[in-house]
Amino acid sequence: STTISSSTDTETDSVQIGEEQCARSMLRESFLRTLIAMTNKQVQFYMYERVKVNAVFGASDIDVLNFQVSDLQTPIGVQKEALLRCQDVILYSFDL
Amino acid sequence: SWRSSALPPSERPGQRRGVEMKKLYGENAAKIQGMETAMQLTFDRNCDRKQPKYWPVIPLKL
Amino acid sequence: MVEWRQLKPLEWCKYVNKKVKVTAHEKHQFDGWVFTVDPVSASIVLVTFQEKGGTATVRVVTGHAVQEVEILQEGNEETARRLRDTFMPLGGQVLSL
Repeated sequence: STTISSSTDTETDSVQIGEEQCARSMLRESFLRTLIAMTNKQVQFYMYERVKVNAVFGASDIDVLNFQVSDLQTPIGVQKEALLRCQDVILYSFDL
Repeated sequence: SWRSSALPPSERPGQRRGVEMKKLYGENAAKIQGMETAMQLTFDRNCDRKQPKYWPVIPLKL
Repeated sequence: MVEWRQLKPLEWCKYVNKKVKVTAHEKHQFDGWVFTVDPVSASIVLVTFQEKGGTATVRVVTGHAVQEVEILQEGNEETARRLRDTFMPLGGQVLSL
């Protein structure tokens, strides 16, 4: 009947929601650990327009829109403190 | 502050965020939110102390 | 392929612990073992292990720059453990906040 099938659907939905929440948590936690591991490390940033810069990573905001960095080596000199827009960045790389 | 007074009640970030987090992360919401809050605090503290300026001044990618 | 940023967490999970080749903006290609995909920004974290010295290089391709992700090799328990150990040197214990 309709009642049974709809309640089964609801159950399936809630299992799926649970699995998705679990997957999202695992992925997000690992990403936050990546950012934590990057703290105070020398990081290379490959940006749009073929711009490459190095800097010491400080922190990111939670929406991953901005990176706060220090000792940014730009093509025209060192900027002691800087914010990079993630929108400008293609890749960032560091060693552990 | 201007932030809290300027926002209508439905836009209170803390409360909305809690509900949103629970929907996204389920039973792990508190743990994820804790890690995020710690990171955001570090970001805010560093920005207050170091006053970083955007580089480049104009975004590369609009 | 559905746009990378539009995938669901369970679909991103299928790439975790596998070796992939990421094609990014301007045909740049990067390969490595996938540690995670950030569900907020769709950024993908790749790790390559150096044979000497036990160090690892971590490369993060930002979600908006990802064009294609191709699986090159399946992972195994050993890969999963190495990836975990790279980011959780304290043996996986929860960080105190």
